Parts: sequence; structure tokens; C-alpha cells
Amino acid sequence: MTHRQRVLTTLKRQPPDRVPVDLGGTLASTINIHAYRRLMAHLGFGGEPPIAYLSRRSNSVLPDERLLAHLDVDCRAVILDNPDVNPERALPDGSLVDEWGITWRHLGEGQHFINADGPFYDREPDLALVEKFAWPDPLDPGRIRTLRGQAETHRARTDAAIILVLGVGVVHQIQFMRGYAAALEDLIAAPDFLQAFMERYVDFWIRLTERALQEVGDLVDVAMFGDDLGTQQGPVMSPALYRRLIKPVHVRMAQTVKRFRKPLLLHSCGSVAAFIPDLIEAGFDALHPVQVSAKDMDSASLKRQFGRDITFWGGIDTQHVLPRGTRQDVREEVRRRIGDLGPGGGYVLGAVHNIQAEVPVENILAMFEAAREFGGS
Amino acid sequence: MDLNALKDAVINGDLKGCTILTEVAIQAGHPPEKIMNEALVPGMDVVGEKFRCNEVYVPEVLVAARAMKKSLAMLKPLLIQTGAKPVGVAVAGTVKGDLHDIGKNLVCMMWEGAGFEVVDLGVDVSPDKFVQGVKDTGAQIVGISTLLTTTMLNMRGVIQALERAQLREKVKVLVGGAPVTQTFATEIGADGYGESAAVAVEKAKELLGIA
Repeated sequence: MTHRQRVLTTLKRQPPDRVPVDLGGTLASTINIHAYRRLMAHLGFGGEPPIAYLSRRSNSVLPDERLLAHLDVDCRAVILDNPDVNPERALPDGSLVDEWGITWRHLGEGQHFINADGPFYDREPDLALVEKFAWPDPLDPGRIRTLRGQAETHRARTDAAIILVLGVGVVHQIQFMRGYAAALEDLIAAPDFLQAFMERYVDFWIRLTERALQEVGDLVDVAMFGDDLGTQQGPVMSPALYRRLIKPVHVRMAQTVKRFRKPLLLHSCGSVAAFIPDLIEAGFDALHPVQVSAKDMDSASLKRQFGRDITFWGGIDTQHVLPRGTRQDVREEVRRRIGDLGPGGGYVLGAVHNIQAEVPVENILAMFEAAREFGGS
Repeated sequence: MDLNALKDAVINGDLKGCTILTEVAIQAGHPPEKIMNEALVPGMDVVGEKFRCNEVYVPEVLVAARAMKKSLAMLKPLLIQTGAKPVGVAVAGTVKGDLHDIGKNLVCMMWEGAGFEVVDLGVDVSPDKFVQGVKDTGAQIVGISTLLTTTMLNMRGVIQALERAQLREKVKVLVGGAPVTQTFATEIGADGYGESAAVAVEKAKELLGIA
């Protein structure tokens, strides 16, 4: 099988020749720049590789093709670019400000950025906020300028599955623009405001997604976006609330991608088991990152309950095993997750979220070696 | 006047209800301590319990805590006048290097709802700031939070700083946050670990010997 066939087969829950692996294929399955530099140096890919950020905010890179070929990775990402109007810019204190007016504060050298301020922070959840907001143009040509070139380069160099990384989902976007706590309170206290916001944002998202898929639909194999619904201990909101307020929006987003006949991968961190039946219904083909260290996210149980209807993507623990485990712990983790999630297809192996700065090189390599060893021929 | 209506307003996160019913309760001559102990505290207790049983989730807890805090703000001046003592004093913060605050805020609100006086030291809090916070407030409880695997080791630094300042014996240290486990808490010498904000209340009470 080619790398692409392997990924597409597993997305249909059919057995591939071996379990496909991901690194750098999505917004949240790549590698921190410091871990990346150490890995590149260790493997003797000499000199400072040119750094291409997959996300400046998460300080994560689009890995160099030499690395991906060496690790025999099955996926490659293509990403949207900055708009021409209001591109992301740095402030003197090192923070970033994006086109939405969201301020991203740097956690420190080697770390990522987190949202610290936004246009709806500390404001009353008034419908006028949504109406008066200067909504960015989804069709700003800057966003897709390099898209086709990225995809063509991957196609020319590899037979990997190409993943189109779409804009963030509605839950994320309101949290970034308004602050996490306020956005969560709005779910209960200001649902009208929240719905008005989501309507507008999803219109933006759909127009951008359609434009991107018109541009590279013939070259990409999968589309993905992220919307976190879980905490370490459980769903971030009740499944009933998700069904009432968020799911209809997710359905619209999924249908947009489905019109282009692309499988859709949802990234959603934390304990999200309670949402999976709804996510399947909404039209998601695969779920990332399968945060196995969160509550109710046991991989064997997830596969048993939902493995017929959704593909699992990720699954190698990043909270404990990758940063602090031994090589042997990593091997055991890989063996276990392949045993739980791999049978019959429906699994793409990778770290749960981006490989962080403190993860030892040996553990990263152990993960990919073990994936080859235990993942089939 | 029955304080159950106010308790229910807290449970339902009814901000307007809490405002009105607190005013009514004060006017009716209920001592502020009684309003606190018979409406706000038991109200938040119910919310905490429901949260632990997955009957409600973070949004409901936040809305309830906001309503409770509104009542509490109205009672505060009266509580100070009557010289009412909190059940304990706690300082809390997100550890150095981390800016995530929703978990820490939830714990602060739940502690306040249980009758603690809580001083929130904010985010990216250095070990020295934790020490200063304890000195300034005479806190018996120190709550340290983090979301990141990269910053969780800084929690040990806070405990060491408390030792150096010879405050370690005077306080109970509680740690929490997504990557933190009981094993890790024990390893760094914390007195307790709470996997959720509701558990943090129980642990704090337990460590201080409050029923």
C-alpha cells in the first residue's frame, strides 16, 4: 500500500497493511521546535533546518521532509496562510495579535502561546457585539495563496496522505475571543449571544473552507479542524448542551467538507467519550487525539464502543509516558494502543497532541520504531 | 424568610435571584453568617456534589459560583462588621511559567463557597510570591495549579521555597491540574491532590480537620 492508501483504508475502518503513523499531519499532531531541533541534530540531518512553523502560536513546526521520510510518516499537512489584511503580528513584549484582535501571550522560551485578551473579553454578551464586530474577509487571497503549492510539493515528493488543516472550530474561536470562563458561562447565561456569534463565525468558516477546497480539493485526502470539548476529568459541557447548541453547527461544518467528498477529522482534547455518538452522527470520520490519560478515555473501551463508526487518531500518551517514561515504557504504550485500536483498521498512530519540548529524542524515536515493529509488516 | 430560596438561586446560578434574595435576607434581619452558612455554603455544596457526579459541568458551576460571589460581595462588609471568622484562609495560584487559570479559578470559587477566605495570587506565580502570600495572609492552605507537563515540576519549587521560609509546617499544600496525579503530588511532598475543584474543597477541609 502507498502511504495514502494506508491512511484512507484505515479511515474506512478496513485493515491497512500496517498501522499508519502521523507526525506533522495536523495542527495538533506535530512537534515543538526545540524537540524538533534536537531530533534533527540527533539523526544527523546536519545544520540548522529551515524552520517552517505549522503554528507559531504553538511553537510547532512543519517537519522537514527528510525527517518524515526517515520515520516513514504517512501524513503531510497543508495549512492556510496569514490573510493579507491584518496578518498575525508580534507586539514588543513578544505577544502575538491575530486578525480577530486576539492577543496570544508567550509562556516563555520554547513554550507555546495562550490567549490572554480578545475583542469580547470583559464585555456584556450583547448581540450588538456580534453585529458591530469587524468580521474578517474569509476570501482574503492571502489565506490560500500558497495552498496549492504546498499540496503539489507533497504530491511530487511523496505518496503520503495530504491533510488540509482548516480554521479552528466554533467552540475554540469564541473561547479565544471572549476568554474560556466567560464563553463557558455564556452557554448557560447567554445562549442567544453565543448562537449569534456561532452563526456568523460558521459562515466565515464555511466560505473559507469552500474556497480552500476549491483550490486544493483535487490534491488533498483529508480535512481537519479542532474544537476542544473535554477536560481531564470529563466533558467540558453536558452532552445535552452540546447537542442543542454546538452540534447543529458542527453538522453544517461537516456537511461543507462532505460536499467535497473528503473524510473529516476532528481534533478534540480531553475526556470526550460522552460526545462520540453525537460526533459520529454529526459526520466526523475520525477523532484526534484520543487523550488516553483523561477520564473515560481507555482505548480498548473506546474501540469496543465506537470502533465500527469512527477512526481513532493519536493515542500515545503525552502527559506521562512520552515526557517521563523510559524507552521501554514508550514501546509498551505503543504496543498497547496498537493492540487496542489497531485491529480491523480505524487507527492512525501518533502522540496525543504535539510532541512537547521536554520529550527526550530517544522516546520520540522509540515511538516510531515500536509503531513499525508492532503495527504490522 | 426562608433561606432555601437563596440556596436554590445559588444552585441554579440565578444571578438576579441571588442579588434580590440576599438583599431580602439582610433586610429580614438574618445575620450575615447565617445567610452564608445556611444558603451560600450549602448551595455551593450541592453544586460541588452535582459536579462530581457529572450532573452538572463546568459552565453550570461557573454560573453558580458567579451568583454565589455576588451574594458574598453583598455580605462581605457585614461579615467584617460582625467579626465573623472564615473556616480557613487559603492562597492559590497557577505555577510559574503557566498562564492557565480556569482550574485554579474554579478551586478558588469552590473554596470561597465553602466559607474559606481565598486570596488568589493569579497566574505565573513565582515561589517567592507564594511565600509572600502565605506571610501576608496567614494562610493555612496553599493551592498550586498547572495545566502543563512542562511547568508541573515548578510545583516542587514552591514547596521548597515554603521550607526555606520555614513556613512548610504551618501550611497544607494542595496541588492540582490536568497532568498532576496523586503519585506526583506525593513525590513532590504535597499534602494533598484534588482531581477536580469539588475534591479540592473536601481535601482542604479534611486537611484542616473541618467536618
